[in-house]
This record gives sequence, structure tokens and C-alpha cells, in this order.
Amino acid sequence: METQQLTTLAGVIDKKMNRQLKQYIDICARCAICKDACHQYVGTGDFKYLPARRAELIRQIYKKYFDKAGRFVPALYEARDPDENLLEELYESTYACTACRRCMYFCPFSIDTAWILSVAKAMLIAAGMGNEMLSQLADAAIMKGDQPELFRDVLVSGFKDIEAEVREITGDPSAEIPVDKEGADILYVGLAGAHSIRPAAVIFHEAGASWTLSLFESANYGFFLGDAEKARKIADRYMDEALRLGVKEVVITECGHAYRVAKIFHEAWSGKKHPFRVRHILEVIDEYITDGRITVDPGSVKGAITYHDPCQIGRNGGLFEEPRRIVRALAADFRDLTPNREQQWCCGGGGGIVAMSEFDEDRIKSGAKKVEQIRATGATIIAAPCENCRLQLEQLRDHHELDLHITPIMDLVVEAMPLAGTKAAQA
Amino acid sequence: METYLQITSVWGTYLAIAVFVLGIAWRVYEWSTTPKSPVPLGLFPKPKTGAGRFGKMLKDTFLAPHSARIEPRMWLFAMMFHVAALAAFVGHLRIIQEYPLLPQWLGEDGMNTFAAWAGGIAGTLMMIAVLYWIGRRTFGPFKNLSVPEDFLLLALLLGVIIMGNHMRFFGHVHAETYREWFQSLLAFRPMLPDEIVHSNVGWSLGTHMLFVDLLLIYFPFSKLVHTIGSFSANLVRSE
Ligand code: HEM
Ligand code: SF4
Ligand code: SF4
Repeated sequence: METQQLTTLAGVIDKKMNRQLKQYIDICARCAICKDACHQYVGTGDFKYLPARRAELIRQIYKKYFDKAGRFVPALYEARDPDENLLEELYESTYACTACRRCMYFCPFSIDTAWILSVAKAMLIAAGMGNEMLSQLADAAIMKGDQPELFRDVLVSGFKDIEAEVREITGDPSAEIPVDKEGADILYVGLAGAHSIRPAAVIFHEAGASWTLSLFESANYGFFLGDAEKARKIADRYMDEALRLGVKEVVITECGHAYRVAKIFHEAWSGKKHPFRVRHILEVIDEYITDGRITVDPGSVKGAITYHDPCQIGRNGGLFEEPRRIVRALAADFRDLTPNREQQWCCGGGGGIVAMSEFDEDRIKSGAKKVEQIRATGATIIAAPCENCRLQLEQLRDHHELDLHITPIMDLVVEAMPLAGTKAAQA
Repeated sequence: METYLQITSVWGTYLAIAVFVLGIAWRVYEWSTTPKSPVPLGLFPKPKTGAGRFGKMLKDTFLAPHSARIEPRMWLFAMMFHVAALAAFVGHLRIIQEYPLLPQWLGEDGMNTFAAWAGGIAGTLMMIAVLYWIGRRTFGPFKNLSVPEDFLLLALLLGVIIMGNHMRFFGHVHAETYREWFQSLLAFRPMLPDEIVHSNVGWSLGTHMLFVDLLLIYFPFSKLVHTIGSFSANLVRSE
């Protein structure tokens, strides 16, 4: 690589610099206390996945270009250029990271390795090494936002099909899936696919909620890609819709990263405060059950059930008790995983890794801890709100031949509701 | 001997303190003038109040309970080192000014005996911890993660500690004599008491100070800035 190009790439660190990042780079003691926090390092034993090692690559470039001591005596820090060798390792350690931030939880200085890697992603994108798959998915989502009229009719007719199912399930021929309804209380943002819309529609209908369905899905591949601009545009699609319709709250489907993007990142990215609140669908369902707006049969779930905290909902999103309360309301035999809540192991499927086939082998290996945890409970059902988690759990189940039913929580809730319809909730 | 002490324990000390103070000031200035990221990076669950956050930060920083859970042995040695280092630091204040009360209770001899024990224990614990850290960095992932900076710092530390222990265990010079020397530095009228120069620990004070000088000079430019950075970084954890 030419000097000019190396300097430009290193410059990405300077452009993205902020106080937290600077401190993280300066203070890490390289004590490797974080090593056993990372499911990928623990599952594969591969040094490139040791959290501090992933960050070290960025530190090495920073030392070479921007740090006084590093420029004076580069050898002391093994300071390096962002050359092909470095970028190759950086690509693997960065895009593999599920941003679960379990390493941050255990680090004596709470160093957020995933935050350091957000700079790594920006650098890889600048080097033309951003992940192709994520990039294409992100661009497609942005295009859908730019030209909604191209997609609208197809989407709405799809929603009509789901609406017909909702009518059969609830036994109420007037049940609907409203779209573009001004003045609704709730804008519900699902995923592409009926599975995230149908149960929510049943629950909203039964609770008598005033809601409307977003034309857009909440999944955000720009976030996984590490392109903040694209990620913001993707989230803007439904945030603008919420503003236009004047809703009181945006409710995100069970998906994990989408909730964190909407709840925590979007205001910071856009620099504007939301005039509505953002909640997760499980917060809403928990409230409906507590307030008696929907009724559920407490013995509906047969067999031992456990719950997996998706990282972006639990440790990084703050919802620990709501999902547990819901599951407990439906099941007699609830068994928590150990450790749980903020110490929950990442299943290995986050950060968009399920969309990147080059990591398939390591991804399955990185689920070792999760499998161990599930086995220890003896549960035969696992409730996992996040779609990426479920994809990973399904593959882990097949790989390890577990006797395990993997389900979103919304489906369990709908099955537990006394409904007048003739059709079962599951398609 | 005189010249060696002049270099390391007088002029070197001045230089080291100046570089250390200015270096840390510069480091803090750099941190505080770099804009914060608008994205909150906290982990849940978070304390609800400012005071709660502050308390959690202090607990996380001083006790590192999470690190204790994941690698108890490393936590133990790190705790041992840091507490002993703190004790040694407090002990060293005696060479600026004698503590009130304690010497009256213990008597002069009693005080020296107490200091010998306390300092001896702290020095030994620090040495054990540093040797453990060095050992840990010689194999597997710890070795792969280490860079020369890590070994340089540990070597400097070991030098400081071994020479300090040598003075403690093999010397017969007491705090009041070191105080004469250190007070003279503070008054900018440096002198070296004959009692030190001509004792068996003259060279060990010189070498202790050589390592101290180097450590202080490198301190602000090394990962040791975690001494101050850990507070703000741990505060970010619950923002
Ligand atoms: C108060 C919060 C602090 C925490 C949580 C903390 C934590 C740590 C940790 C985890 C290490 C890593 C050891 C290793 O593997 O090398 C370390 C090393 C060290 N710390 Fe601290 N520390 C703190 C404050 C301090 C202070 C106030 C000092 C002042 C003397 C200090 C001096 C050192 C030294 C000299 C090392 C050895 C460096 C090396 O390994 O090269 N620390 N600390
Ligand atoms: S635990 Fe924290 S300080 Fe230690 S190596 Fe990992 S990131 Fe660095
Ligand atoms: S955020 Fe998770 S996947 Fe990434 S380095 Fe830390 S522990 Fe590993």
C-alpha cells in the first residue's frame, strides 16, 4: 500500500476520535482479564478473538500515527501501519465481534471493545473492506426508504394477507392491521416477514390498542456494517414515519439490535430528541398483562422453559425483568440460565454475524457456552426474543442435537391467550 | 557514590517530578478537550441517580468486583499489588513529614520497628505481585498480548521494589535521615546526608531513585495513566 493511502486510513481514527475512545486506547493494561468474557475467544481459543487483541490493532495504528510516545519509540508499542496484514486480521476480529459487550462488563476499567471496533469498521469501510453482504443489505434498506412508492403496494397487500389470518385467529372479522393511521398511539416497527407482525397484531387487537404498522422493518444492517450514516438513514425511515403520523410511542419488535438503535443510538446520531417514547414490544406486553388488558393462561407452556437475554436487550438495552415476568406468567416451570441477566453469555449470533457465511464455523464453535448453559437447565423450550439469537440457537440445536424448542415470546403469549378464533396462532 | 546520588537522587529527581507533573497535566488536558461521543456507552442495569453512579464508579474502580468474578487469582495479585503500593506510598510520606500521634504512641524505636514491618510486608507483597505479572506474561495469550511497554514497566517496577526492599532489609538508615535529604530537595537546597552516602545503602538509594526517576518520567506516556483514566472510564459504564 502506498504511504498516502496508509495515512488516509490511519486518519480515520483521528476523524472518529472522542474522549471515551481516547481513554480506552490510553489506559488498557493488556491484563487480558477480558479474555474469558468473550464467547468467541472461549469457544475457539483463537488469539485474534481475544477482546483486547482486537482493540490492540487499532491501538497499534494510533500509536504509530497519533501518540507522542508511540511516534518517538514505536517499537515499545509494536506500533504499525494499517497495511494489508493488519487489515486482514482486523477484518476478521472486527466483523466477527457480536458487540455483546460482555468484555466491557468484566474489564477493570470497563473498556468498551466494541466501541473501539466501531472505528475499526469505519477504517475497513474506508479501505474498501467493509463487509459486502451487510453493505448490500443496508443499501437495499436505504433504497426502500428513498422510494417507498415502489414497494408500498406489495407491502400493503402482504399486510392484508396477515390481517386475514389475524381475523381467523382472533375470531373478530373487524380486526385490522392499520397502516399510515394518523394519530395512532403506537407505531409498531416489525421485521420483514409475517412472523413478527401477526402475533403483535393479535396482541394489540386484544388489548384494544390504538396502533399502526410501519411500512419499514426495524432491522438495521447499516449498524452491523458500522456505517453510522447508513444506520441513521435506515432508522430515519420509521422515525420520520412516527413524526409524520404524530404517534405517542414507537414500539420495536422483539429484535435486539433494532431496539438498541431506536432507543439509544438514534437520538445521538440525529442530534434530535424524539418527541415520542421508544419501547420494546416486551415492555408493552408486560404492561398489558400486568394491567389486565390481555389475559393469559398461566399453565399454557408445558415443560421446562428457560429464557435467553439477547445482549442488545439485556446488558445493552436494560430489559431484564419484563421478559421474565411474561414467561413466568405463562409457564409453571421456568428455569433461568446461569449466569443470567447482565452476565448472560452471548449466544454467538449477534452483530450481523449470521449474515456473514465466512464466520459460520467459528460462530458455531462460539456457541459452546450457550449450549452448556442450556443443557445445565434441562429445559426443553427456550424463549429468545431476538431473531439473530434464534437463528443461532436453531443451528446450535441442530449441531449439538439438542431437544429444544426455540421460540419468540410473542408467540407464546398468543398461544396462551383465550381467543375466539378457529385458527391456531402458529402458521 | 556522591556523583551517582547527585545524578539520580537530586537532579534526576527534580527532572522526573517535573516531567511527571507536566506530563499528567498534558494528558488530562488532552482527555478533557477531546469531545465526548454523543452516544451513551453505559451498560445496564444503571444506577438511577448521579450519586448512585458515582458510588458505583468508586466501587468498580477500587474493588473491581466483576474482574474478581472472572479471574479471581489475577484479581488477588492485582489487589495485593495496588493495596501494597498504596501502603508504600503512604509510608513514604514519612520522609516528608513524620506522622503525628503514631510515634508518640509507639516511641521512636517502636515507630521504626512498625515501619520496618509495614514497609517490609508491603515491599514483599509488591515484589511477589510483580513477579507474578511478569511470569504471567511469559506464556500463551498473555505473552501474545504483551508488548515491550508491558515488560519495560514491570522491569522498572521490579527495580524500584528490589532496591527499596534492599534499603529496608539490609540498611540501618532510618526515616529521619531520608527526611533530611528529601526536605532539602523540597527546599531547593539539595544536600545528601553523609550518613546515607557512606552507608551500605548509598548505592541502593541511588539505584532505587534511578528506577523511580525513569518510572515517573515514563508514567504519563504509558498505560499507567489508568491510575487516573480508570475513574472516568468506569463512570462511562453507567452513563
Ligand atoms: C484505582 C483503580 C486501579 C485499577 C482498577 C487498576 C488496575 C490495574 C490492572 C488490571 C493492572 C494490570 C496488571 C497487569 O496485568 O500488568 C494494573 C497494573 C498496574 N497498575 Fe493499576 N489500577 C488502578 C490504580 C492504580 C494506581 C493508583 C497506581 C499507582 C501506582 C497503579 C499502578 C499500576 C502499576 C504500576 C501496574 C503495573 C503495570 C504493568 O503491568 O506493567 N494502578 N492496574
Ligand atoms: S480487561 Fe480491559 S484493561 Fe484488561 S486487557 Fe481487557 S480491555 Fe484491556
Ligand atoms: S463485544 Fe462480545 S464478541 Fe466483541 S470482543 Fe467483547 S466479548 Fe467478544
